[in-house]
Amino acid sequence: MPLHTLMFGWEYPPRHLGGLGVACQGLVRGLLHHNIKVTLVLPFPGTDEEVDIRFPTRDVIETIRIKSFLNPYDSPELYAQRIQHIPRETSQIYGEDLGHAVYVYTETAVEMTKDLNPDVIHCHDWMTYEAGVRAAQYHERPLVTHIHATELDRTHFSPNEWIYGRERWGFEQADHIIAVSNYTKNILVQHYGISPDKISVVHNGSDEAHAIHVMGDTVPAVTKKNPMVLFLGRLALQKGPKQFLKMAAMVHAHRPDVQFVMAGDGHMFSDLVDESCKLGLQDCMIFAGKVSAPEARKLYAQADCFVMPSLSEPFGLVALEAIAQNTPVILSKQSGASEVIGHAFKVDFWDTEMMADCVLTVLREQPLAMQLMSEAPRVLQKLTWINQADHVHSIYKNIIRS
Amino acid sequence: MAQTHPSICFYFQVHQPYRLRDIRITDIGKGDQLSYFDHEKNRSVFRKVAGKCYLPANSLMLELLNRHPGFSIAYSLSGVFLDQCREYGEDVLDSFRALAATGRVEFLAETYYHSLSSIRDTQEFCEQVSLHVHTIEDLFGQTPTVFRNTELIFSNELAQVARLMGFTGILAEGTDHLLQGRSPNMPFEPPRFRLPREKESVIAKNRPLAKRSDKIAILLKNYRLSDDVAFRFSDKSWVGFPLKAETFTDWLTAGGGHSINLFMDYETFGEHQWEDTGIFEFLRSLPRMWEGRGIRTSTPSQVIAEWADRSKEVYDAHNVISWADTERDLSAWQGNQIQAAAFRAIYDLGPLVKATGNKELLNTWRKLQTSDHFYYMCTKYWNDGDVHKYFSPYDSPYEAYRRYSHALCDLKSRVEPKVKTKKNHRPTSKS
Repeated sequence: MPLHTLMFGWEYPPRHLGGLGVACQGLVRGLLHHNIKVTLVLPFPGTDEEVDIRFPTRDVIETIRIKSFLNPYDSPELYAQRIQHIPRETSQIYGEDLGHAVYVYTETAVEMTKDLNPDVIHCHDWMTYEAGVRAAQYHERPLVTHIHATELDRTHFSPNEWIYGRERWGFEQADHIIAVSNYTKNILVQHYGISPDKISVVHNGSDEAHAIHVMGDTVPAVTKKNPMVLFLGRLALQKGPKQFLKMAAMVHAHRPDVQFVMAGDGHMFSDLVDESCKLGLQDCMIFAGKVSAPEARKLYAQADCFVMPSLSEPFGLVALEAIAQNTPVILSKQSGASEVIGHAFKVDFWDTEMMADCVLTVLREQPLAMQLMSEAPRVLQKLTWINQADHVHSIYKNIIRS
Repeated sequence: MAQTHPSICFYFQVHQPYRLRDIRITDIGKGDQLSYFDHEKNRSVFRKVAGKCYLPANSLMLELLNRHPGFSIAYSLSGVFLDQCREYGEDVLDSFRALAATGRVEFLAETYYHSLSSIRDTQEFCEQVSLHVHTIEDLFGQTPTVFRNTELIFSNELAQVARLMGFTGILAEGTDHLLQGRSPNMPFEPPRFRLPREKESVIAKNRPLAKRSDKIAILLKNYRLSDDVAFRFSDKSWVGFPLKAETFTDWLTAGGGHSINLFMDYETFGEHQWEDTGIFEFLRSLPRMWEGRGIRTSTPSQVIAEWADRSKEVYDAHNVISWADTERDLSAWQGNQIQAAAFRAIYDLGPLVKATGNKELLNTWRKLQTSDHFYYMCTKYWNDGDVHKYFSPYDSPYEAYRRYSHALCDLKSRVEPKVKTKKNHRPTSKS
């Protein structure tokens, strides 16, 4: 009998909203590879025909879609803003506020999975924790809570107390916790009072194919385009877009030929546009908006340097995506990705001067850029979802046995 | 006159680099004021090592030399180490002078700047060795006759260069693939061949010693016995742990031969192996043990003199070897693209720097040649995410390169205007 995991997860690409969906997809695929049966429960803001249907997508996987307007990156305020645009009769089904939305999701999710017979319950980030806890109690099976981002990461350590409390409760109820980095594990230990013995670190994997350049491709053309420095991520406090602007202003002062691209959207968008004009960057800063995966890959490949200035980044899949396209990366030290990517510059997010200096050095020193490009992607061979799912499989086996 | 036991030849390497400070791009090109070196860091490392190693180890050596009239040792003190003694530790320099005064301490020659110049620029190499030889003469009143190159970098060609410079001996790593089953405990010689005439004439013009030597002996490091002390002494998982003077002496005599060459970093005593491992007590007990068993110690030049005209086997190092890492080659300093770029850039700047005739610029340029700068850029063991195997004052090899490339850019910006103003003195870059 294959092991069966009941997983409360998040929507896949292309419907995904950020790294969480990508990570869930990668993990499920990895688990399937190890012959683990997965039932995946997803919040889904779709039409009536699409929701509340259980359907097998492959032999060993079953997806259950729960009608819900939940977005894993929501705060109560952001949820309230979004729900305003929904007709009142529908919004009542989804939940009038964030708390209610989580309640509705939990009730439905637990109810819809009662006739299953899982060996282990696995849930991803706080909105799914109550569903996970109650399903684990109902089925009398062990619970794994997976943490991709804490409320402290999202709010730069000024949490909504209610959300923080829900997270901590979920960690306490879990038989075991999977953190996406040592960085996140330390946050759980230091700020949530969780015992380190209960937490395993499984770094995110990457199924990004390493783009191998054909010979001559990396040789700079005689008439080189202007160098380009890239940011890609939600335009939210956590991702450090303001730090990127500060860095850009310093680089611009030294090298006016450098072009900057900020890809992604988010509630800070208009603030950032204002700010970049104030800094005099209007002619060299492009706001590219939300980009699709193929567009993102193209941007990474075009960039001479990718900067991830996150204030607190549990992992940071974008860094792996960038190195897969042979782009030198400069990473915030406050990130999980900096634990696994050796061949990169690592800078404290607040040290925008150092960040600018590293960018300028990468742009000036061709041998340095070449070496970062050729060495960094090696980690991708090790960090596959098949390997990472194997760690998760071991964790399942250990807690089922004990 | 046959000896019952081989003699023991101790040589200790003493060196400190000038580590770079956190230079920023915005500092570059601002004129002659910018210092590239982190004086605070260099001072604090020097004082730390002085307290843990140089001073207590020198004091122990002096005690042993005074107590055991047959005891002798050799040092190689890099020029940049001696410079740092003048800046940060006259007390350390005095303690070396006291050792020299016993008459049983030999000082070897090396490149003043602990550089890799031997593999790139013969003229520069000769100048740095001359500078070092004259410094040793001034400080300790003796003229070195045995040469040891940076990190024991060695090749057939280098042996010939050293011979033409006037040295009668040179040290090298006794690597298994070159020994091919032979014992490292005998003096060897390089294959005989002529260097290109141009090179010979460069050496003749810049020779540190009065005349060329007819012959040169190679003394090989016995790496197993040396590393038993330098690396394994405090390793609890090692079968030899804990190593006692008596056991070690048994091992030393078991191999036979003419001399057991124990070559190691001086920091072995108190810095790599901390005092609480018992390393000082171990060292203290060795001469007494050896005296009791009739084992003598010799310095490198004595080992060579004792062998005299007896025939030597050929040690054929066609490719360059060193004592670094398991590869025992140049890959610790020349293994990746940033190291190659930095190395090329610093030596390409040489003709310009020399054309300025400015002593301070020359000194700065040479301090940037110290091998440690390239070693810090090594990514051989830079396993992704695993930083702990690496010893460096910087966060990463890339940080090492960032600082170094900024220093080079600034140096270039200082050198170029000075050269342009010197008419009829346009050096072309080296081919």
